[in-house]
Amino acid sequence: MRLLLASVLIPFSLLICGAAAELRGPAQVTAGNPVSLASTGTGSGKGTFYLTGPGQASKRTVTLGDEIQVHGDEVEHAGRYTAVVCDGRKCAATHFFVRAAEPAKVSLLVHPSRVRVAQPNAISAVAFVFDKFRNLVLSPAQVDFKASPKQGPAVSQTRPTQNGVTWIRLTSATKEGPAKIGASLGKASELRVVQQVASEACNLRIKPEWNAGKFFVETEPVRDCNGNAVSDGTVVSFTKVDASGKTTVDAPIKRGVARVEMPIKGSAKILVASGVVTGNELSVEGRQ
Amino acid sequence: MMRLAFNVLIILALAVGAYFALRPAVMADGSARKVELNAENLGPRSIEDLTEKSITRDYGLAWQTMAAALRENRRELLDGYFTGIAKATLAEQIADQKNSGIRVRYTDQGHKLEAVFYSPSGDAMQLRDRAQLEVEIVDGDKVVQREDVTLNYLVLMTPGADRWLVRDLQTTAAEVRP
Repeated sequence: MRLLLASVLIPFSLLICGAAAELRGPAQVTAGNPVSLASTGTGSGKGTFYLTGPGQASKRTVTLGDEIQVHGDEVEHAGRYTAVVCDGRKCAATHFFVRAAEPAKVSLLVHPSRVRVAQPNAISAVAFVFDKFRNLVLSPAQVDFKASPKQGPAVSQTRPTQNGVTWIRLTSATKEGPAKIGASLGKASELRVVQQVASEACNLRIKPEWNAGKFFVETEPVRDCNGNAVSDGTVVSFTKVDASGKTTVDAPIKRGVARVEMPIKGSAKILVASGVVTGNELSVEGRQ
Repeated sequence: MMRLAFNVLIILALAVGAYFALRPAVMADGSARKVELNAENLGPRSIEDLTEKSITRDYGLAWQTMAAALRENRRELLDGYFTGIAKATLAEQIADQKNSGIRVRYTDQGHKLEAVFYSPSGDAMQLRDRAQLEVEIVDGDKVVQREDVTLNYLVLMTPGADRWLVRDLQTTAAEVRP
């Protein structure tokens, strides 16, 4: 008798338990779009519906057996969501993924912000593609990079994204000045400015000057090999070699030239250098 | 016979007590677990040894603080290892948890990270994470959903003053159940 009861009651109770809330929904939806979940196998009555996911943790009362509507603003962040419905005795869950919507924003990282002219692959630009909800768009997209120097033609290249990211390397222009680096995708675009400055001094030349009995040595306007004026503040080293030994004086470039006063007694040689670049040599005789 | 049974019970009780007493806190509170980083296919910039160690350490600590922040509804815990979109999204979730009374509890069981992109200037790194987790959804004291799951994340990290910060943390669709 016991065996008979058990064989009837256990499957029956399992059937009842098994018939508790069930939840079904799509495997994947697009961010910001409403989702409809089917709660079945419950008969009727009220239940509690839970939704958790990125940036989301909510609960509300639902009627079991009805479709459960998840609003678009509840699924704006891309990622995995868990929906749970409980009928008081048992809970059932389902999971779905929210993928990013259409690309709507490009985020651009450009480095460095200041670069010397004519440096191969010295500038890097990295673009991240986001949708309007700030989800990284993982489906491939084509990003247009454009570099516009102050003088000369703009250069552009198109690169595909991988996992929402794409990048490019650029060589700095030969002329100093700001260069605009842009990335665009459809209507979305982002712009950064890189300041291109003169490179190392080139053909560094100095000239002597006597003024009111004092000896000065001055550079000609200091320029790089592309003719760009080397930035003010760049240090030029003047070295005097005479019978008393060697003396070095550093002077910054001001308004394109570096100038320094050097007391001279007897004969001396004056040498000049800036960074690794050396210039001409002067032989001078001191005035008694 | 009774005495033997009693002794066995005592030993069992002691063993169970010792297990829970000596069980590391990291297991109970879902904190830092093993993080493995594979950077073999990384480009265009190659990773420095120190950066590799920092990423591994900081990503593990980010998960530790995230789990604690969500468990305890403490938004300020996110300040240490999160920034940008990731921090904003988690802060939203904590605000929602406070309103609804439900919480998500993560028990972190390890991460397999694969670094996939390191920007030429070293200011951003993208990684894939295969995370083993126990995830619970709790309403008050009642666990309404519990699962052991392996989830894939796409992670964007950027360097801060003295650590790497998680800027974006997004689950991706390829999912494997244990």
